[in-house]
Amino acid sequence: MTTESADVVIIGGGIIGMATAYYLAKLGSDVVVVEKGEIAGGTSSKCDGNILAIDKEPGFDSQMSLESQKLVSQLVMELDEEFEYRAPGSILVCESDEEMEAAEMWVNRQKEVGLPFRMLDRGEIRSEWKYMADDIHGGLECATDSTVNPVLLTYSMAVTAERLGARLKTHTWVTGIRLDPSGAVEGVETSSGLIRTKHVVNAAGVWSKPIAQMVGIEIPVEPRKGHILVSSRTESIGTRKVMEFSYLMSKFGKERKVDQLTEQYGVALVFEPTASQNFLIGSSREFVGFDMKINVDVIRCIARRAIRFFPVMKDIPVLRSYCGLRPWTPDHLPIVSRVEEVPGFYIAAGHEGDGISLAAITGKVMSECITGQETTISIEPLHYNRFKKEAGKR
Amino acid sequence: MRKSLRINHHPLLGEMDKKVISFTYNGEKLQGLEGEPIAVALLANHIRILRRHEESGSARGLYCGIGHCMECRVELLGKGQVRACLTPLKEGMEIREGSRLPNAITGRVDS
Amino acid sequence: MSEVQQTDLLIVGAGPAGLSAAATISADRDFRVMVIDEFPEPGGRLLGQFHEERNHSWWIGKIVAADLIIQNTLAGVMIQCGVSVYGLELLPDGWRVLTSKGDIRTKYLLLATGAAEVPMPISGWTLPGVMSIGAAQVMANVHQVKPGERGYIVGVNVLSLAIAKELVVAGIEIEGIALPPDDLFAMEETNPVAAIELLTRLSDAAPAPWMRWGGKLAQKMKLSRLIASCFPKKGVKVWDLPLQLRTALVSIQGVDQVESVIVADVTRSGEIIEGSQREIEVDFVAIAGGLYPLAELAALAGCPFLYVSELGGNIPVHNERLKTTLPNLYVAGNITGVEGAQVAMAQGRLAAHSISYDAGWFACEEEPKLLDAIAEVKEVRRSAMIQFHPEIDSARKRIYELFEHWM
Ligand SMILES: Cc1cc2nc3c(=O)[nH]c(=O)nc-3n(C[C@H](O)[C@H](O)[C@H](O)COP(=O)(O)OP(=O)(O)OC[C@H]3O[C@@H](n4cnc5c(N)ncnc54)[C@H](O)[C@@H]3O)c2cc1C
Ligand SMILES: Cc1cc2nc3c(=O)[nH]c(=O)nc-3n(C[C@H](O)[C@H](O)[C@H](O)COP(=O)(O)OP(=O)(O)OC[C@H]3O[C@@H](n4cnc5c(N)ncnc54)[C@H](O)[C@@H]3O)c2cc1C
Repeated sequence: MTTESADVVIIGGGIIGMATAYYLAKLGSDVVVVEKGEIAGGTSSKCDGNILAIDKEPGFDSQMSLESQKLVSQLVMELDEEFEYRAPGSILVCESDEEMEAAEMWVNRQKEVGLPFRMLDRGEIRSEWKYMADDIHGGLECATDSTVNPVLLTYSMAVTAERLGARLKTHTWVTGIRLDPSGAVEGVETSSGLIRTKHVVNAAGVWSKPIAQMVGIEIPVEPRKGHILVSSRTESIGTRKVMEFSYLMSKFGKERKVDQLTEQYGVALVFEPTASQNFLIGSSREFVGFDMKINVDVIRCIARRAIRFFPVMKDIPVLRSYCGLRPWTPDHLPIVSRVEEVPGFYIAAGHEGDGISLAAITGKVMSECITGQETTISIEPLHYNRFKKEAGKR
Repeated sequence: MRKSLRINHHPLLGEMDKKVISFTYNGEKLQGLEGEPIAVALLANHIRILRRHEESGSARGLYCGIGHCMECRVELLGKGQVRACLTPLKEGMEIREGSRLPNAITGRVDS
Repeated sequence: MSEVQQTDLLIVGAGPAGLSAAATISADRDFRVMVIDEFPEPGGRLLGQFHEERNHSWWIGKIVAADLIIQNTLAGVMIQCGVSVYGLELLPDGWRVLTSKGDIRTKYLLLATGAAEVPMPISGWTLPGVMSIGAAQVMANVHQVKPGERGYIVGVNVLSLAIAKELVVAGIEIEGIALPPDDLFAMEETNPVAAIELLTRLSDAAPAPWMRWGGKLAQKMKLSRLIASCFPKKGVKVWDLPLQLRTALVSIQGVDQVESVIVADVTRSGEIIEGSQREIEVDFVAIAGGLYPLAELAALAGCPFLYVSELGGNIPVHNERLKTTLPNLYVAGNITGVEGAQVAMAQGRLAAHSISYDAGWFACEEEPKLLDAIAEVKEVRRSAMIQFHPEIDSARKRIYELFEHWM
């Protein structure tokens, strides 16, 4: 066992940890990343790659996504490896007039704050999507939404951070965090020895709760499982992201009109075409602990939902399916925060279904926060304090 | 006429007794034995190219022969993509090679 | 989708292991048994195999398979072909098996899915006409269509020699059997020393006096390095096959399909000798990368695994009675480790006795049968013609120990 030291130790080699490592290394910090498995071996390789503002409330939520979109478009120039970046916009489609009305309200609210949203009528949907079901009423578009290959983006940040001096320790577990007598961070204990440091970032995704407990802090991050199907390569069905609007209906106090299983598994269509001419179809939302087994009933439910929107899919073979665990928080916002009680302890976790979208902005503000600079956007709304009273319950 | 690849009199395994039937491949009329896998009937007709790689367009054929590797995907009319090594031949089947596809995302148009 | 089918025992895989298990258990008692397989006909890899026994008679897999199928038909076992299993789910009272033709519910489940071949990427290997050695075997022996007129085989191991011999019997010309290029993907068989060591396992089966002498001597005196350096550059004939241990296949050439291969001489440690490259015209190439147990279904079920190189790869943890650590789930045949078909058959019979015993009706009657079946597996393994690895028994012990540890 050896002892090393670093300015900052990041726990977790997912997209959040690697973004933080990259932006810190860029500022000249001496960074070590400790990852129990492989880089991007956690949720960041078991997801889609959408960087979305289309489903965000105008205001702080959408500001974060839009800032992140800008940063990712700069990363295309800054990083050493390509990561299948495109910014074709994304669309939401409506199944009923009721949904169309709600969509119109949504678009108007977004336009008021100057965001590039617009309604799409039936004709526009038809002309862009020749395989979409006939009875789709219309939809809406957000023109700036972008997409990446999340594994490649994570790797690209990792190799660039490494070039800038960061050290990546994979297959290494964090087993404890050492505090000095005053209660401030003084080191990280790992399966291959102690690393002395004054700054630790907990970027352990769904595993961030036990890491926080190592310093006596409770955070309400829970795994929310999602399944995805991968199709075989096919003729193009479409070139950008499609989601169903009905999933947003709850934001308008309205119920979704779907069958019982679709409701139970939280299934809503996410169609994501990839550069290799496969497409990914998602997804589901379930609280079933850390169980990573594929549930075939969920897969079938997702497939039915996809065929409802794209009848042609019933003849396209599925290559495989996978599932991932979203790091859920009660208010669906991440925790990007210093922890005052434990000087030197930071949290960047709980990004639920938006970790790919928000990785760049999270890494940027984390690096600014740790090095004592003003942050690009305010992170007060993301402080872990907001959960203090209700910590632990869901 | 090229020499047939069928082993009509195997010294240890004897003969295959199956009915001769017709099918088409890329529109060409061919003959094969009923129930033998599509890939086998094509090989017996000296046809090894089963598809073009969707992206690169390079020629691909049978690799494992027992359903594991998925290299032998062909288009069977009415069924979509099937594994040529596992799908039994039937009278009148219309089969096409898997084709190279234009890529709407990268913008590559040739197919 | 059809309605849910019900059975007492479902066997996935109609190879020697699955068919033997079904025949044994259904002969014994009134048990609903169903066997499913994704290949269009039952028999598994038996259908492609034949070899010469020590007494010079031929052991023909197709005939053995036909015999097993008749036994099963007479006993009322339902064999369904063309059905792929893609999912398994543990229920309180058995298993739910998801197939391409609908769901099946069963109390007991036996996985006998066999083995698959390790792919070996070589320059030019995606050309039509390049296939795995097993595919060449299936074409020639199962479907009786030649994989080509003149072929080249890459990879020297027990299976490639056995199948090369079968191809020659079917009237196909084999231009050479050589080593794969010594590159990133190369496995232990790449260099002549390792290859000779492997060959020693075939020594009894090799009619060529040179091999018998060379093999035994090497095994006894660990002289394989010496043999590697003495091995003639132009190769030797083993069973009339042009075996070339000092030659490596460099690349496969052709525009839309295989037209030729480029081969070169290699040094004792497997490096290419510059200037020795030459082109040989062939119309097919068979790649022999070795076998690994096909165990995805066990992984889907949730079995723990152990990597055991002597058995070919990741093995679902099980005990000597072929029970896994999960309730009512059993494994038999090559899914438990790569061996020959006769061992798989003995394992199938053992799994049948093990399930009967656990079903618990006539335990006192079953116990001795079960013990006999265990002994039989060992005996068949010991006397098998083709031995895939010399340390199989001790490797299996490690798995059984892990099973005890789990339970
Ligand atoms: C089905 C699905 C679809 C999704 N689609 C999208 C999408 O389109 N757009 C979007 O923005 N987001 C999406 N997400 C969400 C996104 O994937 C996650 O928010 C994001 O990947 C979380 O990244 P992370 O770095 O926090 O976690 P992870 O990637 O899980 O990284 C955490 C790492 O910490 C490591 N670790 C844990 N404990 C320890 C320890 N003790 N020692 C050392 N290392 C440890 C883990 O091994 C892991 O690699 C989706 C998620 C799912 C499940
Ligand atoms: C290509 C190849 C060639 C071989 N040649 C020889 C040889 O010449 N000599 C020798 O001694 N050994 C050979 N072997 C080793 C061979 O595995 C054993 O001899 C023996 O056949 C193993 O018997 P088994 O019953 O375990 O599996 P198999 O005989 O392989 O039978 C398994 C069956 O399970 C079916 N199956 C698998 N997965 C699924 C699924 N998900 N759904 C439905 N059905 C499924 C398969 O279609 C197959 O029919 C070869 C193996 C391979 C892979």
